[in-house]
Amino acid sequence: MKKIFALILAMSMVLSLAACGGSEAPAESESQAAESQSQAESAAESESTAASDFKVGAIYINSKNDTAGYTFAHHNGITKAMEELGLDVNTQLVIQDEVLEDYDQVSTAVDTLVSEGCNIIFGISFGYMDAMADKAEEYPDVIFSHATGYKSNETNFNNYFGRIYQARYLAGIAAGLKSLELGNNNIGYVSAYGTQYAETCSGINGFTLGVQSVNPDATVYVKELGNWADEVNESAFAKELIDTYNCCVIAQHCDSAQPQIAAADAGVFGCGYNSDMTADAPTAHLTAPIWNWNVYYRTAIEAAMTCGGAENFVTAMGGPAYYGGLNEGFVDVSPLTENCDPNTQAIIDAVKALIASGEWDVFSGTKLTYTVNEDGTVTVNKTAGALVTNDGTEIVPADGPSVEDGVITGTMNYFVEGVKAA
Amino acid sequence: MRFHVVKRENCPLWKKLGMYALAVAAALVLGGCLLLAMGVNPLAYYGRMFTMGMVGNKIAYKAFENYLKVFAPLALTSVALSLAFRMRFWNIGGEGQFILGAVAAATVAFKLGPVVGEGLTLVLMCLAGMLAAGLYGLIAAALKVKFGTNETLMTLMLNYIALYFITFLEDTKADWNFYLDPTSVRPIFGRFANLASFPKIPIGKFGLNICVILTLVVGVLVFIYLKYTKQGYEIAVVGDSTGTAHYAGMKVGKIVLRTVFLSACLIGLAAAFKVGTAGILSTNITDDVGWTGIIVAWLSQLNTLAIFIVSALISMLHYGSDVAAATFSQVDSSFANMLQGAILFLVLAADFCTRFQVLPVKKEGKNNGNG
Repeated sequence: MKKIFALILAMSMVLSLAACGGSEAPAESESQAAESQSQAESAAESESTAASDFKVGAIYINSKNDTAGYTFAHHNGITKAMEELGLDVNTQLVIQDEVLEDYDQVSTAVDTLVSEGCNIIFGISFGYMDAMADKAEEYPDVIFSHATGYKSNETNFNNYFGRIYQARYLAGIAAGLKSLELGNNNIGYVSAYGTQYAETCSGINGFTLGVQSVNPDATVYVKELGNWADEVNESAFAKELIDTYNCCVIAQHCDSAQPQIAAADAGVFGCGYNSDMTADAPTAHLTAPIWNWNVYYRTAIEAAMTCGGAENFVTAMGGPAYYGGLNEGFVDVSPLTENCDPNTQAIIDAVKALIASGEWDVFSGTKLTYTVNEDGTVTVNKTAGALVTNDGTEIVPADGPSVEDGVITGTMNYFVEGVKAA
Repeated sequence: MRFHVVKRENCPLWKKLGMYALAVAAALVLGGCLLLAMGVNPLAYYGRMFTMGMVGNKIAYKAFENYLKVFAPLALTSVALSLAFRMRFWNIGGEGQFILGAVAAATVAFKLGPVVGEGLTLVLMCLAGMLAAGLYGLIAAALKVKFGTNETLMTLMLNYIALYFITFLEDTKADWNFYLDPTSVRPIFGRFANLASFPKIPIGKFGLNICVILTLVVGVLVFIYLKYTKQGYEIAVVGDSTGTAHYAGMKVGKIVLRTVFLSACLIGLAAAFKVGTAGILSTNITDDVGWTGIIVAWLSQLNTLAIFIVSALISMLHYGSDVAAATFSQVDSSFANMLQGAILFLVLAADFCTRFQVLPVKKEGKNNGNG
C-alpha cells in the first residue's frame, strides 16, 4: 500500500513541476521574444518569400476534418491550390478550425497563425470580417483575405467571392428545358434566405432568368428556411413544393442534398448546389451550380508569393475585391446528367461563350433566346427586354447595362418577374 | 465475495491531492494513446499545449493576453456559480445570464457611451450587466421559492430564451436595432470599442487588462464573504440543511433569492468585462463559460482558491489545444473537449475514492441487514 502512495506522490510531484514549467513559460519566453524580435524583423526584411518558407494560414468555421459542406469545400480548395503550386500541405498550411464568429476568438486565431509565421491568412466566414479588418492594420506584414465580406484596405486586406449567379443562370436553363419537356411550368427553389441577403436574392434571380430564357411561362416558387443549414426543413420544404405547388424541378440554396433526395423520392427533378449532387440523387439531379474555390486560392497564394511584400498584395490582385465568375472557372455547373434535355449542353455552352466574350451578363436589359439548328448547334438571339421585379418595378431599362457588381453582392433586395414566394 | 462501500474517515490532504494528480495523469495518458493512434507524438503535442505555443514565439505577449481573455471570464463565472452551488441551488443558467449581462452592457455602451464619457460608461456597463443578469437569475430563484419549481430545468430553459434573443438581435435588420453595424447591408453586430473599452496596464509589450485584476479582487471578496460574514454562514447552513436553517430562525427564501441574485450578478459582471474588452457583441460571446464553469466549480469542490487554479488549468487546456492544433494538422480542436471530459470523469472517480472505500464483506461478519 505504501508503495502505491509513494508512486502517486512521485507522479504528483512530476506533474506539479510540469505545471509550474507551463506557467513560467510566458515570462521566460517574453524575454526570449524581445531578443528574437529584432532578429525576426530583420529576417523578415531579407526574406524573399521563397516557396519552401511560405506559410498559408486558414481560419475555418467548422472542423478541418469535415467530409462535406462549406468548410470542406474551402479546405479542399486550399489544399488543391497548394498542391498545384508545389507547396507542402502538411508543413506549410496552418489551420485554426471551429473558430466561431466572435471578435475575440477570431482575433486570437489570427494571433496564433501569425505567431506560426503565416504569410497569408484566409478567413472563410462572413462574421470574421471586423476582427480580420483590425488585425490587417495590426500586422501590415501579413496578408489577410476574407471570403464573402465587403471590407478591405489598399494594401494587405482583400475580400473574395464569386459570380455564382452566372452558374445559377446556366442551371436555370437546364431546369427550364426540363419543365418544357415535362409540360409543367412550376419550378421550386428551397433557399436559406430570400431578399434579406443579396447572396441568396441574386442566386434566385439568376436562376429564374435562366429558366425564363427557355420557358417564359415558368414560375419559380421560393421557400425560405431562415437558416443556412437545416436538413429537416430542407427536405420538408422540398416535399411541400412538390406536393402543394406541383413543382417538377427543385433547385436549392442550402447546405445539404436533402432537397435533391426529396425530389428523387417524389420522382421529379432537381438542381443541387455547392458540389455535384448527382451521387445523392442519381435519378433526379440535372446539374448543380458549383464553386471551384481552388481557382481563387491558387490566384491569391501565387500573388502573395510573388508580389514582393504584403503591402503590394491588393494591387497584385487587381483590386480589393476579387469577384471571379465563369470566365475564371471560379464558378461552373457540374457535368450534366442523362436526366437533362438533350439540347441543354449545347445551349449552356453557347451562353458560356457569350459571357466569356464580355458582351452580355445576366442582370442586363438584354434577354436571350435560343434556336437549335438542324446540325445541333445553337444560335443565341439577343432581344431588348427590361429587367423588371415581380411587383412591376423596372430595374434596368430595355437594352440597358448590367446591374453593378456592388448591387449583386451587397444590396439586391428584389425578386425578378417570375419569382413567387411560396 | 461481496463488496460494500464504506465512508472513509478524514482522508489527509496530501492523499487527496495525490489522487487528483493521478487522475489527471491518467487522463493525459488516455489522451496520449489517442494521439498515438492519430500518429502524433504525445509528448510533443502536450509540450506545445502546456506551453500554449509561447516558447520561441515572437509575439508570446499576445498569446498570454489571449490566454487571459479565456481565463478571466471562466474564473469569474465559476466563482459566481459556486455561490449558488454551495446552497445546493443548481444554477445551470450561467450561459443565459451571461448573454443578458452582455446585451445590457452593450446597450449602455451604445446609448450612454457617446454621452457620459468612457470611464463612467464602463462603470455603468458593469452595473447594467450585473443588474440584467441578476434579475434574469432571480426569475428561477423566485419561482423556486414561491412555487417550488425545479431550478435546474428553469435555468436550463432560460438559457435558450437568452440565446435565441441574442440570435434575433443579430439577425434582425431594423431601425430600432442599434446593436447592428449601420453600414452593413447584411446584418452584423456593430463595434463600440471606440466608445468604451477596458484599459490595459502596459508591462513592456504585454498589456494587462484591468478586468483580470478586478476578477482576482472579486475572487478575494467572495472568499471573505463566504468565510467571514454572517451571510456566508447562512449560505453554508442552507446548503447543509434547509430544515436546520429554518430551525435556526433563518429566512431560507430570502437567503436563496439574495444568493442567486448575487451569483447571477457576478456572471453579468463577467459578461460586462468580456464585451467591454471585445467591444462588440456576438452570439458566441459566452465562449461556453456557463457550461465549463459548472465543471470548474465541481472540480474545485466549490473552493474559491481552487476555482482560480482549476480555471487557469482548464483555460490552458482549451487555449493550448487550439494552438497545438495549428502545429499538428491531424488533431482538431475537439481534442480539448475529449481531454477535458476524461479529466472530469477521472477526477470525479478520484474524488469518490477519497471519500469512500470499497471493502469486501467479511466472511464471518454477521449479516443483520435485509439480506
